[in-house]
Amino acid sequence: MAKLIMFHGRECPHCRAMMPLVDQLEKEAGIVLEKHEVWHDEKNADLMRSYRPVLTPQCGGQLRVPTFLNTETNAAVCGEIPYEKLKEWALK
Amino acid sequence: MKKTFWRCFVCNDIHYGIKPPEICPTCKVKNAYVEISASEAKTCLAPVPEKEFTKEDFLRAIETLAEGQEFMINPDRARLETLFEGIFNNERNHGLKYCPCRLICKEFEEDLKIVCPCNFLIHETYKGVDKGECWCGMFIKR
Repeated sequence: MAKLIMFHGRECPHCRAMMPLVDQLEKEAGIVLEKHEVWHDEKNADLMRSYRPVLTPQCGGQLRVPTFLNTETNAAVCGEIPYEKLKEWALK
Repeated sequence: MKKTFWRCFVCNDIHYGIKPPEICPTCKVKNAYVEISASEAKTCLAPVPEKEFTKEDFLRAIETLAEGQEFMINPDRARLETLFEGIFNNERNHGLKYCPCRLICKEFEEDLKIVCPCNFLIHETYKGVDKGECWCGMFIKR
């Protein structure tokens, strides 16, 4: 089953800005994103690094947060993005 | 070309690079650098007392970097405070001032690219962008 993952950093302003949009999306679409904080949890960091070949071509060649990943399609979007773009990624 | 260590034979400044400075920035003597081993460089630097580098020191350093440049420090102080918190936490927990808006991949050369300040001038969020900024938003175009 496809999982929707959000990789984020505790002290990342973009991640903080995206959180209310993620909450809104979860309520509106009736979905849940798995949220993994990557700078203070090594397991989460390793999980994100395990997706490096999938993520970096879609995110400027680096591991960046926030990153939103669909584990079934490997579609990823990164950074502070508009709500509509986030929704499009999640429901695709 | 590989970087190596160089020592000024007049004032013992240490330089790390593919070639030494023509003029020593400290004693101003010309052609004063000699190539040395990494262990000699470490020995030369060992007596330098470790001094705490505070957030205020870091702010001063990046403000100095931005002087006269096409970029400036983001005036949003709350954002800066959040970023500084992350940068200093990352230094304490992971060894260097890594960008809180990216993640290390555990390859040293690659990870050096995300030490703050990074070379954001080449990033797609900055280069050729009207209101360009570095990925985390600490540096913005004037």
